[in-house]
Amino acid sequence: MLPGAECPLVRPRRLAVIGCTLPLLALAACGQADDRDQVRSVSERFNRALAHEDGPAACRELSEDTVKSLRSQEKTPCPEAILGLSLEPSRTARVQVFVTSAKVDLVSGESAFLDRSAEGWRLSAIACEPKEGKPADRPYDCELQA
Amino acid sequence: MRRFLRHNGLSLFFAAIFLAALVGQLFVGHADFNHEQIAHHDGTMSLGRYLVSSPFGSDVLENWQSEYLQFTLYIVGTIWLLQRGSPESKPLDEAGTESAEDQKIGPHADERSPLWARVGGVRTWLFSNSLLLVMGSVWVGSWLVQSLTGHVSYNAEQLDHQEAPISWVHYLGTSDFWNRTLQNWQSEFLAVGSMAVLSIYLRQRGSPESKPVGASHEATGIEG
Repeated sequence: MLPGAECPLVRPRRLAVIGCTLPLLALAACGQADDRDQVRSVSERFNRALAHEDGPAACRELSEDTVKSLRSQEKTPCPEAILGLSLEPSRTARVQVFVTSAKVDLVSGESAFLDRSAEGWRLSAIACEPKEGKPADRPYDCELQA
Repeated sequence: MRRFLRHNGLSLFFAAIFLAALVGQLFVGHADFNHEQIAHHDGTMSLGRYLVSSPFGSDVLENWQSEYLQFTLYIVGTIWLLQRGSPESKPLDEAGTESAEDQKIGPHADERSPLWARVGGVRTWLFSNSLLLVMGSVWVGSWLVQSLTGHVSYNAEQLDHQEAPISWVHYLGTSDFWNRTLQNWQSEFLAVGSMAVLSIYLRQRGSPESKPVGASHEATGIEG
């Protein structure tokens, strides 16, 4: 290189910044994939429990607040109350996860919402359908929610 | 080592306080996030998870993008715009990109000039505009990441209220995105504008950001 020449392209310090940032981004992406798998599993376990009329198994996938809401709404224990709602089990079509909230769209056209708690992902609203108008502006109409 | 510290004190000082502030923001942001989560009966997040989360990313990047926009506009603005009496301005008869001789480009470069100032062609053009190109790129990049992380945080809020998530393109038109953007822009523009005007009449002895204490208020483009 000529005297006074500089290498204006990638410098070691810039590589270090990129080197530190990429693992963090990879970590975030891996975390997202894990969450989607877990949300899908919760939805599938819940719908399988409904199909087998297994009330206790279905209730295990609900959040604590959703269980309380169900008991208050139906005036019976959760395992009995959840089967009394006559929910139609369905397969999972799509899973979307954003931070600690998730939405599952079922093949039947209904949706469910989940929150991540210390116990893991749990259903916070089930048998939800969009109200008339722009779905992004109005809460879904849910058969049961926390 | 002492010489290194003395000659690089400004960058080292600001790097240190930047890191301290960023780490501080991580801790208090994490506490604030979990406080909100508990209030909404939602699950809390560990510090490690929060570090790579969209809420933290959005809070950091919305500030970075406005800072780099501030400098991008400042660099461009000070090429052509003048402010009589301000040390932030060039002298009143020097608006524009100036001559190759004034800028020591090509044949006007000397033996200590950087190589790319001497060689001409694309390399000299790139080097001549490298500050603007880098600052502008960092601004665009950080604004893009702000929009991506803000989109995720916004949709988390949507789902928390049993509302449908929206696309990234849709998010770019929301009041949430523009509120976060403009609340930062207005403060940056105010700061730069204040500096340009206050430095006409006020002085700080020893700082190159100020005119010499005894300089007249009309003196333009001189440093202390």
